[in-house]
Amino acid sequence: MKKKLLEVGYGEVAKVTIGDRQPLVFIGGPCAIESREHAFKIAEMVGAVCRRLGLQWIYKSCYDKDCRSSPDSFHGIGMHEGLRILADIRDAFGIPVSSDFSDPAWGQATGEVCDLVQVPAYLCRQTSILRAAALTKRPVHLKKGQFMSPWNMKNSVRKLEANGNHQVLLTDRGSFFGYNMLVNDMTCFPIMARTGYPVCFDATHSIQLPTSMGNISGGQREFIPHLVRAATACGINALFMEVHDDPDRAMSDANTVLDIKYLENILGQAKAVHEMRLELLEKYGEDNVHPET
Amino acid sequence: MSTRKRDEILVRDIMLSLTRFPVVGESVFLKEALEEMGRFRLGIACIVGDDEKLQGILTDGDIRRMLLKVQKPFSAFFVDDVLDHAVLEPLTVSCSDTLRHAVKLMGDKQVWDLPVVDADGRLNGLLHLHPALDVLLSDNH
Repeated sequence: MKKKLLEVGYGEVAKVTIGDRQPLVFIGGPCAIESREHAFKIAEMVGAVCRRLGLQWIYKSCYDKDCRSSPDSFHGIGMHEGLRILADIRDAFGIPVSSDFSDPAWGQATGEVCDLVQVPAYLCRQTSILRAAALTKRPVHLKKGQFMSPWNMKNSVRKLEANGNHQVLLTDRGSFFGYNMLVNDMTCFPIMARTGYPVCFDATHSIQLPTSMGNISGGQREFIPHLVRAATACGINALFMEVHDDPDRAMSDANTVLDIKYLENILGQAKAVHEMRLELLEKYGEDNVHPET
Repeated sequence: MSTRKRDEILVRDIMLSLTRFPVVGESVFLKEALEEMGRFRLGIACIVGDDEKLQGILTDGDIRRMLLKVQKPFSAFFVDDVLDHAVLEPLTVSCSDTLRHAVKLMGDKQVWDLPVVDADGRLNGLLHLHPALDVLLSDNH
């Protein structure tokens, strides 16, 4: 299996390379674009942290939140306004940007602005969404559905490839464990990596307790550092976290977003573990304790 | 039939043509290769690249041995790339080899099938033991 590198960034932005023995890449931002001012504020804050740590990063925030539990929950700022804000962040900070999209009709516009287009986990096997994502010609961030086995993600990858797209990032965001509960199976990283594509860990959605609070999701933020260290040691190429400067007032995923005051702590640890893993690979080589598999 | 005449029978006279045995691409899933083997009722699939060169073979025996070694769920096993479980440098013969030589090789190596390749490694056909024996034992030659 040949390991593929993902190049994210078109035009005049700081291009990011994800995969194999490249440095760890951070993908993050507020879950939803709440306002232009807030989006810029978070970009500034995350950018400062990543500069201090020497990390490459991709700004991610969504313009439409189509999987809210409640009809009363904030649904997003809308595609046109959201993409305008993302394009302006891209220009102002010179960094790649990303958003998901949950309607195939939004794929083209999303791909015209975003350097990395994201397929939501709930829709990870929907052929129409995958086709639309592939046709953007941008790298595709494909999240593993909470109901999917890591090996069955190859079917979704095939759908992207069948539509001419061979630039994929595969992400784990937890697997359903009964009702209203997620767990992380760390074997999913080496399994998904066997596709040859880089793999990513979504730490803030992994600690979600889906719809555990009746009409909204809960979360257990206290586990974020533990899971980040474990996933990084298991060989992820990128780390995804949603952050907010005032989580209690976050308009989406208030119970799971990471308070941005902890971002440097978590990213610093992730970077250190990732670098240690690369050193161990240099010293001991690739894992190969059961060649038959 | 004279012994000399039998010795003149070549692999190309008896081999199965490309549409008569399982030939799969290198990126197909293991399950798809197994389905092809079932469809043709043969215990072998030949795996070829885009250039039609033989990349490896998958046999019933490979799967049998793998099932005893690899403990992962069937659902995971099925979506493995077929090449993950293939023999990558299989024994082969050429069209112009004699059938007697090829059958002797099958006996020596205890195999039922031999892929037939040209000098560049492109797959030309498959020699299967049963039709080969039929011809060698036939009185009509």
